[in-house]
Amino acid sequence: MSTVIRRMAPAGLALGMMLLSGCATEHGQVETAAAPMAAPLVPPPPAAAGPLVPGMGTIIPPGVSTPPVMPNYPKTIRDTGANPAVLSLYRQAQEAYAGGRYDQADELLQRSVDKDPHNPFIWQQLAMVRLSLKQPEQAEQAAEKSNTLARGNPYVEAGNWRLIAKARQALGNVQGATQAEARADDIARSLSGTP
Amino acid sequence: MARNKSFRFFANPAVRWLLIVLAIVFSLGLLVLSSVMVKLDQDVRNKFAGVRWVLPAQVYSAPLEIYPGAALGLPQLRHELDRLGYRAGEELVGPGTYIPARDSLRVDMRAFAFWDAAQPEQRIEVRGDDKSIGSLRVMGSDQTVDLLRFDPLLIGSIYPSHGGEDRVLVKLSEVPPLLPQALVLVEDHNFYSHGGVSLRGILRAMLANLRAGHTVQGASTLTQQLIKNLFLSNERTVKRKLTEALMAILLERHVGKDEILEAYLNEVDLGQDGPRAIHGFGLGSQFYFNKPLNELQPHEIAMLVAIVKGPSQFNPRHAPKLVTERRNMVLKMMADAGIITPDEYQDAVRRPLGVTAGGGGGAARYPAFVELVRRQLASLYQEQDLTSEGLRIFTTLDPHVQEALENRITADVPELEKSRHMAEGTLQGAGVVTSVEGGEVLAVVGGRDARYAGFNRAIDTRRPIGSLAKPFVYLTALEHPDKYNLQTPLDDAPVELRLPTGQVWEPKNYDRQLHGTLPLYLALAKSYNLATVHLGLDLGINPVRQTIAQAGFDDVPEVPSIFLGAIDMSPLDVAQIYSTLAASGYRTRLLTIRAVLTKDGKPLNRYPFKLQRTLSEGPVYLTTWAMRKVIELGTAHWAMSVLPPGQSYAGKTGTTEDLRDSWFAGFGSDRVAVVWVGRDDNKPTGFEGATGALRVWGRLIRDLGAKGIETLPPSDVENVMVDPASGLRSGPGCAEAVEVPYLRDSAPQQYAPCANQSQSAPMNWLKSIFK
Repeated sequence: MSTVIRRMAPAGLALGMMLLSGCATEHGQVETAAAPMAAPLVPPPPAAAGPLVPGMGTIIPPGVSTPPVMPNYPKTIRDTGANPAVLSLYRQAQEAYAGGRYDQADELLQRSVDKDPHNPFIWQQLAMVRLSLKQPEQAEQAAEKSNTLARGNPYVEAGNWRLIAKARQALGNVQGATQAEARADDIARSLSGTP
Repeated sequence: MARNKSFRFFANPAVRWLLIVLAIVFSLGLLVLSSVMVKLDQDVRNKFAGVRWVLPAQVYSAPLEIYPGAALGLPQLRHELDRLGYRAGEELVGPGTYIPARDSLRVDMRAFAFWDAAQPEQRIEVRGDDKSIGSLRVMGSDQTVDLLRFDPLLIGSIYPSHGGEDRVLVKLSEVPPLLPQALVLVEDHNFYSHGGVSLRGILRAMLANLRAGHTVQGASTLTQQLIKNLFLSNERTVKRKLTEALMAILLERHVGKDEILEAYLNEVDLGQDGPRAIHGFGLGSQFYFNKPLNELQPHEIAMLVAIVKGPSQFNPRHAPKLVTERRNMVLKMMADAGIITPDEYQDAVRRPLGVTAGGGGGAARYPAFVELVRRQLASLYQEQDLTSEGLRIFTTLDPHVQEALENRITADVPELEKSRHMAEGTLQGAGVVTSVEGGEVLAVVGGRDARYAGFNRAIDTRRPIGSLAKPFVYLTALEHPDKYNLQTPLDDAPVELRLPTGQVWEPKNYDRQLHGTLPLYLALAKSYNLATVHLGLDLGINPVRQTIAQAGFDDVPEVPSIFLGAIDMSPLDVAQIYSTLAASGYRTRLLTIRAVLTKDGKPLNRYPFKLQRTLSEGPVYLTTWAMRKVIELGTAHWAMSVLPPGQSYAGKTGTTEDLRDSWFAGFGSDRVAVVWVGRDDNKPTGFEGATGALRVWGRLIRDLGAKGIETLPPSDVENVMVDPASGLRSGPGCAEAVEVPYLRDSAPQQYAPCANQSQSAPMNWLKSIFK
């Protein structure tokens, strides 16, 4: 849990908090699925569904419009609070990759996964390596896995979609590649603030 | 006169003829002998040059890795080092030694060539406490280290199943000099001066044997012993003895003493381990002392030399007294010859043999795991290559995890047995632990006697999995967010189904009760059969079969009873399908092998994990959420009493008809564990999943320090606060809200009646369920 929190960084996600505080009455109890700390860190859902549909004759919207706040997502593996051992393996893997020693890089990243299985940066690097190892299917899967673990981190996801585009290209899936590229572009645009 | 006589004698034609014949026979004899010699000479040269040591593949565990922050306390590190055959002491006297202290541990790490890099010998100071590693520093410098890998444990070898030679090859230049010195001293004093056969040795042996009245001393030189072991039979005939002597003489003409000695060191028979013959000092050292040859101390070297005389008679594990006597005699000879000092002698004779217990080192420790490795290897390599080419197999076995699993099964299964007053030895158990990502099999136990290399229940027991199948029924449902979510009411009502065979299938709940309408997740958490069957029938048999196949097991019969787990699986099979759930829907074929190297350490093959997303992440998340409820408030609630507080784990109990099999399978964020408890004769045990296997599983997860599940939902899932009474969105007025995950856009849009007012909701009927 703690690593995720660190990875997701303090995000001012008021909505979840409000839901929590709104529901926990003085004599009430809240059963949370996620540990209490996790809830406020969830990225904001898409702008709260406008006028809420009244249920069974009741009114309410506890709908509070929150200004879209971009959570402070980690940009590199260093920001994830990863252990120095993992950082060391990751760095060695990058060096091996740069030196064209892809098998070794793959091995080092697998060792990193053993120690920090839910770090999206490791899986992303693994996707790069597997692309170079001419294993586009594995590259796509690893990039998707990275997306699964990125939990909305646009810095990671943009890179992953570019890798997925390349992998699909290599697999002859031109349409899929174009779609992936478009998703990467969308994320890049949202990051740079241009519409 | 006499001359005349003799002349006349030779003048006799008969004598002349006899002499001529004799001369011819003699010449022919010489001719034959020389041609035999030439042939033998050629044979010896060819055979010796062509000696290919039978080198069974060596199987290694995963290496122990330590790094600052690793959750490994110093006492545990000591334990791990002891397992690796490192010796504690007051000073570092070479690789494989360490100095323990309260808040630090200094260790001289052995060099080891891993498949991806070489780890040099290093002296490291580890600082830490009894919970974790604090820092690592190279001794004598300020250099800190981020990560260290210890040499892995040799856990077995792949020799032919009908038995055969096993050895670890050594080079003369790498063995401690004391070993060949002591060996020559005891076995063949004139080794460096004789030419293959020692006349002095023969005379000395004859004298000794005459004096004793029977054979007490052999006269074979090391060269003769080598010839016999390599090329000849064991028969005691004059012809064999003569051939041996001739070949020894011939061999010495072509091959140097060092080469002969090195071959001897690798060939010598040092004992038997079931069907496995222990050959050579390299393996002998591992087999008896669980450490490499170059770390042996004088008393250990003396013991190995002592047993050369007859390893079945001088078996250190069966005849320690006899062996100690002979070892001490060897030590005396070593001291007399001056190859050890009087002080070393005094020290050595006082020491116990120091032989490790059991079958020897790691080699026989993990039969169930090694058997699994052997089967996976058999599909990848030719038997011939595995049993003779000296391949080095690097596996995923984690000795620490393996020990935890063994301890639990060997402690808990007998305890369970006792609690039901069953006859001793009736109840069996098996288990598998895997990593969540990467699909590595970390531990396998095939029975309550984990050292017994017999029937491997973790792989070969295929039993119905009972309710372990249920999560896959619910997952199939949750893949249809338009129809099902965790709050969807299910009907736990009687079912009667006419099967194509004409039989009527009428399943019952375990408690024989009906539970009315209840939310989907609770039906799973409480493991209600009838609600599950209704759900399964709505979904259809094939979609559920397909889900299980996507998780990694495709031998599922096409019958409705699969909803309740009428699927025969082994614990390993279950680990496969549960690991796909644990890894958010990515299936990775479970692997035991990471890499294979040639005997020279060159990479031959790597077996990287390959992942494939086969199940959608969102529905898997929802299913896992419900499986967490199994532990939080369902059938596995007992586990809460042993699991670390504040951590969340997901799992499922499984019980089969008449309580024959008790299962539990579950996972945290880094470990998947599956435990089966039952009887080999498949008779009822009296245990449900919750009262049997869960007891083992819960304590196992605790002992492993397995991390809880990371509960942050994926992007296509949203957590919504709902009012349990109505199943609608809750609001400030709702007293008892629960947070439930939904696939995006499938959460209820309507607000509960209580949301902004005092509670006056209809549908209060549901509320009681959540209380």
